[in-house]
Amino acid sequence: MSVQTETLNSFLSFRLGEELFAANVSKVLEILEIPKITKVPRSPSFMRGVINLRGNVLPVIDTRVKFGFPIVPDTVNSCILVLNVLSEDKNIILGAVVDAVQEVMEIDNEAIQAVPSMGTKYKTEFISGMLKMGEDFIMLLNLDLVFTSEEMSILEDVSKPENEKSENK
Amino acid sequence: MTDKLLDIFLAEAQDLIVEIEKALLLLEQDERDQHAISAVFRAMHTLKGSSGMFGFESVSAITHHLENIYQDIRDGAAEMTAPVLEVTFKTLDHLRALMSDPHLADSSNRENHATLLTAILDHQQKKDSAQPLTKNSMSAPGGHDEHTYYVYLLPHDHVIKNGTNVLYLVDDLLALGQGLSFPFFHKLPELHALAPDASHMGFEVILCTAKPEQDIQEVFLFVDTDCDITIARLAEGNKIAALHKKQSNQTHRSSPIGIEGFRSLLAGNKRERVAEKVKSVSGNGYANSVRVSGERLDDLMNLVSELVTTQARLSLFSNHNASPELAIISEHIEKITRRLRDNAFTMSLVPLENLVVRFQRLVNDLSKELNKEIVFKTEGTDTEIDKSIIEKLTDPLLHLLRNSIDHGIETPAERIAKGKPAKGTVHVRSHYSGAHVVIEIGDDGAGLDLERIREKAVAKGLIDGRTHLEDAELVQLIFLPGLSTAEKITGVSGRGVGMDVVKRNISDIRGEIDVVTKKDKGTTFIITLPLTLSILDGLLVKIGDTDFILPLTAVAKCYEVETAQLESTYNQWMNFDGKRIPFFHLRNDFGITDHKPQHSQVITVTHNGAPVGLAFDKIEGEYQAVLKPLGEFYRGQHEFSGATILGNGHVALVLDPHKLITKLNTLHKN
Repeated sequence: MSVQTETLNSFLSFRLGEELFAANVSKVLEILEIPKITKVPRSPSFMRGVINLRGNVLPVIDTRVKFGFPIVPDTVNSCILVLNVLSEDKNIILGAVVDAVQEVMEIDNEAIQAVPSMGTKYKTEFISGMLKMGEDFIMLLNLDLVFTSEEMSILEDVSKPENEKSENK
Repeated sequence: MTDKLLDIFLAEAQDLIVEIEKALLLLEQDERDQHAISAVFRAMHTLKGSSGMFGFESVSAITHHLENIYQDIRDGAAEMTAPVLEVTFKTLDHLRALMSDPHLADSSNRENHATLLTAILDHQQKKDSAQPLTKNSMSAPGGHDEHTYYVYLLPHDHVIKNGTNVLYLVDDLLALGQGLSFPFFHKLPELHALAPDASHMGFEVILCTAKPEQDIQEVFLFVDTDCDITIARLAEGNKIAALHKKQSNQTHRSSPIGIEGFRSLLAGNKRERVAEKVKSVSGNGYANSVRVSGERLDDLMNLVSELVTTQARLSLFSNHNASPELAIISEHIEKITRRLRDNAFTMSLVPLENLVVRFQRLVNDLSKELNKEIVFKTEGTDTEIDKSIIEKLTDPLLHLLRNSIDHGIETPAERIAKGKPAKGTVHVRSHYSGAHVVIEIGDDGAGLDLERIREKAVAKGLIDGRTHLEDAELVQLIFLPGLSTAEKITGVSGRGVGMDVVKRNISDIRGEIDVVTKKDKGTTFIITLPLTLSILDGLLVKIGDTDFILPLTAVAKCYEVETAQLESTYNQWMNFDGKRIPFFHLRNDFGITDHKPQHSQVITVTHNGAPVGLAFDKIEGEYQAVLKPLGEFYRGQHEFSGATILGNGHVALVLDPHKLITKLNTLHKN
């Protein structure tokens, strides 16, 4: 593999429960400690709320809930990954709560294995590949797909009865 | 660099076109309006010059010929006629098209260009053949004889702000011949009241020239609306030398000498001496208005908004830290921030006037098309609104106006039958009301046909045929999607997409629309808008640990009740001030369980004309919220119009009480 592709294949690995995931570093803008999060009432449970990111309002997603892990309280290791994802041709900045950030790894393309179509509990299109690290497997996430607004569109269901005309009560 | 200049040119050209349009509309009322004719000429002239500079040859060619026509009219060599007006109107529309297609790439533009050009040339030739040589007849007899003129020039206060250097005018005058100038300061205020950018002085110029009087008038061609000007012939021959002898060393003259004063001076009756010619050039005469792109203004507004947030944080910090010096600094910054904010906001304000010109056009065009006679009246169009609001307001307002003309105003025959004047009236009125701007669009036409609205609504299944609705409620039905009462579809309206879109557009900019109608008296739409979109005066309230902002404009009253009482009431009603008021216990509706208080605060808001209570835990106080969008992921939650960052860095959610109540109502019903 040439030198250029190696730099493109830097991944940040993080932990959710006992499982390891990794995201391309080009998508990760920064890592934050968890500040006070303002929950937006009546939003889906995987939306943790909004935080103040230097004067801007940043939506924060609880990755645990989103991926179907049991809910546990935050620990000192919990943190927010500020991600820049592409959704419907728009760049969206969002925060994702993870249990712990591990390390930045340089990954050789050849080391990335295809995703087995069976035997994973995650939607396979969200995972762009697997990587074996000693005994563990790390799942490489396709963040653009995981956090598309379409994937989040359950949000809109919450407000479906909007068209009702309750004006003439 | 050139792109930037080009942008400026385009923006300026748009302004000039609007200016011409304004003047033309005046001319339509009165064809002999000299001011309007000069205004058209001036704007054409400027447009010609700058478009030539930027390679808009097509524009400069067409404006050149039009300018000639208007020059003739201005000089009295030709008459203003309806066909000329019509060609000019058409040319304006064409010019707008040329702005995006200067090289006539589009074939329809090219065709249009050619027809207009021949039409204009046609008009020009007609004039030339009809009135040969009258043009110069006035100025001819002046000959080479010298005359002494008295010129009185009193610029208005704002003349310097418009970028006019008064001294240059004096210089231009003196360039015509030999002369003396006498400044006077009768308007000069006390030092403390002196505005450095206002003009406080006037000039009297005694000018001896062989040139015709018209040349003197031309010096003031571009400022005649900004100055009081009198030009009079003082005497035959050159009298400068005679005056020069009597000149005074007095440079501060508090009042003008006046033409009579000079006459008597010349006659030698008075000893009074006259001031010396002014030569000094003070440095403040340069243009002090600058064009700024909207984008930059938006950037500025964003920065100011952030500063407001940070400043709130600093104040909070200084309150918690008992350092007197910090308190002083923080207070200072607070003051400056407030001034900066107010300053920045006024910069993005635009008078409603800018829209009114388009309205006038629409009224004229439509009334011709529909064979209705309409008087268009405006009032308070100097009311200023945020430019981003104006942009979003254009379509709804035009739509309302179209409705008024198409449905509201009856045909002249119908009107006479009803005993009303044949000419209908459509009015646009605007005024401030607290932190809001109110715009009314109304007509004296037939009024809304409530029976028809009812029938239509029943037919479309929007309401149940058996339910009884008050008139006020019936009127509100027009804002529902799919309801249009026009008998037949005209090119103008009646497609059933309309009022609901208008209402939605207006509520998008946090405005409200109401309608008042009376049979055969007319219909008036009343639109209430916030002054600005980015800052909201709110009430900071809390439920548990979560902060909310409720727009202050929505808040009617606050009541303190025991929380237990809220939970024990049957059917979500409570008695306040002897009235039964429905309420929502937001703690329950929002699913917030932490820090349950002993007492709760019920805030009543007016929803669809009736009070509705919203129960919060605690009222923190008033808060100026800088609105931030909640973003894509919350786009389904209309009950939150945004979020804001508090002084302590926490995020507070901004509630839209009307949408919240509407939503909770539907939820509770199901």
